[in-house]
Amino acid sequence: MSGENRAVNPLEFVRQQAPFHLLPEEAMQKVAQGLEITFYPKGSKVLEQGGSRSHHLYLIRKGAVRLEREGQPVLHLEEGEVFGYPSLLSQEAPAFDVVAEEDLLVYRWGERVFQQLMGYPEFAAFFTRGLAERLRFSNRLEGALLGLDLSLPVGELVSRPPVFVPRDATVGEAARLMRAQQVSSVLVEGEPLGILTDRDLRNRVLAEGRGPETPVLQVMSAPAKTQPASTPLFEALNFMVRQGIHHLPLEQDGRIVGVVTDTVFMRRQARSPLHLLRRLERTRDLADLRGYSRELLGVTEGLLAGGLGPSEIGRSVSALNDQLVRTLLGLFEAQNGPPPCAYAWVVLGSEGRMEQTLLTDQDNALVFEERTPEAEEYFSRMAEFAVNGLIQAGFPPCPGGYMATSWHKPLAEWLRLFRGWVERPSPQEVLEAQIFFDYRKVYGALSLESLDAVVARTAQQGIFLAHLARASLQFRPPLGFFRQIRAEDGGVDLKKGGIAPIVSLARVHALEVGSLAKATVERLRAAARAGGLSREAAETLEEAFAFLMRLRLREQLAQLSRGEQPSNKVALERLSPLERRHLKEAFLHIRQLQESLGARYQTDRLG
Amino acid sequence: MFAVLKTPFRHPEGLAWWEATYWALDLETSGLTPSDQILSVGLLPIQRGAIVYGAHYYSLVRPRRPEALSPEGVRAHHILPAELRDAPPLEEVLPEVLRRVAQGVLLLHFAQVDLGFLRRACRELRQPWPHLRVVDTAVLLARLNRHQACLEPYAQPLPSSLGAARAALGLPPHLEHHALWDALATAELFLVLRERLGLRSLRQLF
Repeated sequence: MSGENRAVNPLEFVRQQAPFHLLPEEAMQKVAQGLEITFYPKGSKVLEQGGSRSHHLYLIRKGAVRLEREGQPVLHLEEGEVFGYPSLLSQEAPAFDVVAEEDLLVYRWGERVFQQLMGYPEFAAFFTRGLAERLRFSNRLEGALLGLDLSLPVGELVSRPPVFVPRDATVGEAARLMRAQQVSSVLVEGEPLGILTDRDLRNRVLAEGRGPETPVLQVMSAPAKTQPASTPLFEALNFMVRQGIHHLPLEQDGRIVGVVTDTVFMRRQARSPLHLLRRLERTRDLADLRGYSRELLGVTEGLLAGGLGPSEIGRSVSALNDQLVRTLLGLFEAQNGPPPCAYAWVVLGSEGRMEQTLLTDQDNALVFEERTPEAEEYFSRMAEFAVNGLIQAGFPPCPGGYMATSWHKPLAEWLRLFRGWVERPSPQEVLEAQIFFDYRKVYGALSLESLDAVVARTAQQGIFLAHLARASLQFRPPLGFFRQIRAEDGGVDLKKGGIAPIVSLARVHALEVGSLAKATVERLRAAARAGGLSREAAETLEEAFAFLMRLRLREQLAQLSRGEQPSNKVALERLSPLERRHLKEAFLHIRQLQESLGARYQTDRLG
Repeated sequence: MFAVLKTPFRHPEGLAWWEATYWALDLETSGLTPSDQILSVGLLPIQRGAIVYGAHYYSLVRPRRPEALSPEGVRAHHILPAELRDAPPLEEVLPEVLRRVAQGVLLLHFAQVDLGFLRRACRELRQPWPHLRVVDTAVLLARLNRHQACLEPYAQPLPSSLGAARAALGLPPHLEHHALWDALATAELFLVLRERLGLRSLRQLF
């Protein structure tokens, strides 16, 4: 790590670490006053899972710790990182063993000091907003690792009935009730439902110089954002992250049954995706990216082992890869100054659909606002830099050549290109352009609404859709005349035989109904909603897709662990009889839908 | 060889090591001869096994004979004569130091040097010398070296200077030649050495 060999006094060290760097000078007095220093030899436990709760916030000065759950390592923390706070916040036993991985010199602050520091909003936000970020990228993994099923209804987390105050209550009364009930928020009766939180008492009452006589109606949030108690945990967390709220009232049969807070999840923190995310946040140059894809592989393995579905895995992996791109582009901008005009970095194909797993090439492009010599020069260097960075991180260049190094163009040119594909399609072009219709913006200020509009209008472009339909028939499931699976060299290509056909079927059906959805599953659902595909067909394809993706991922991980190159092929004898039957059924469904699509567009009659 | 390893563990009775308060102390002086003067003092306690930074004491000391300060000394300890002009005299600083360390075990690296200065200061100011128990990290280092020599006779012995010993034991670099940071460095070194030597009772430290 940087600074390792530079001597600093302890306070200077602390001041440089997040979140202490956010504290004002006056607070550093408290930090100095409360600082304690201890030493743990390698292998000893600082905190014990289920043991006595943490009484300190810890900051690693030298050495490293490993968070373990049931003896399984979950996270590794290094110099400058903090731990111990989830237990401190929740007042419950640590959810992990914290084991000194090396001799550990650790700074710590007792809980009273920690509480005082939590009075500084930026400092506190590190622990709460940091939680939101963690959840966004890793909630699925957390669940997997901790045996917490995130598909459970969020209502299951409710441990007590909600606490209400009448509409004419004062904040003083509300605060006393909160103290008596030991809750961090109260609901305000009546319509619309209001909510008053600890945070509101600080920000809207104390900080505004208002007194305890203030009516709650003046400072509450209303209408409070609620979710049904049946919402899956995963979705509820995403909702809280998106809305930036820390308390979520849950409703059932028209009444509020409880409130969940984000601290409920605090102690459930676990995340190797987070570790990777942090690594990205700390990246200062390209050399720091080496080994990224190997770590990503570990994340994927963990997710799969945790029993997660391929679409959740794809989303986690894409979230990390998106952050990688943002990191790279941020580095470029930092080194080369701001861009001469707005731009958008887009990813294509499986990246665009958020269906990346292991064998991922780069598929990306750059859209910028207008062509000037300056922009041309800037963005071609940016593309070069980012593509190079991705190669460093372990993403091989795309063999088809869809990379921003050759695909950076002004928006007007992209529009022309898309309109050309859509309005004057040629079979070969449409075949090659398919993945462009899976574009997704990852970074940049440029709006792609005009491009979206072109894509949305493809619903009216019969010829284009017919070509696209034909392109989707390019690969067929390997089924023989007697509906038996035809193996080549003892194996079946899951991508060509199943995944790619479903992806392109979903694309056609979604574009046909003017949907801008990108993920295959979402496209199938959109098509079913708009009546372009029967609900039954959509659901069957969705299941087949999940099955094939999971099977492929499992096989690829197995290949990697045997030291082989991962491929799309699976040997039939590696499948159980049940899996073989599923595979055959999946292939049959695909064939059936391909045939009906072909019949509808009479693709054999296209030139 | 095993007998050597076992000896430190044979006295579990008495106070556990962490039940005592230790005061890690360091002095910056104008030189190393008896005629040299104390220029700054830094000390901080170890309580219940943890260094309590908030309870530290640090002060510059106005020398009685500022004219005797040498440029070499300034280069070593980075204390400028101008900084000392407004510092409290030893008459004020020494009681502050003694009041604290009287309540515990004194922790020093190469104890004799600093003890010499402290004793002389007491004598000059007609203060009674409190008979303190002293733990010397340099002595603990030598003990660890002897233990290691039994296990790995060909290994390099640990260096004895504070900075080098810390580095050899995996502690981070510190700002040297500053009384407070050297005292803190000594305290941290003590925590590591105690652990390495497996010393559990207070008695085992002497």
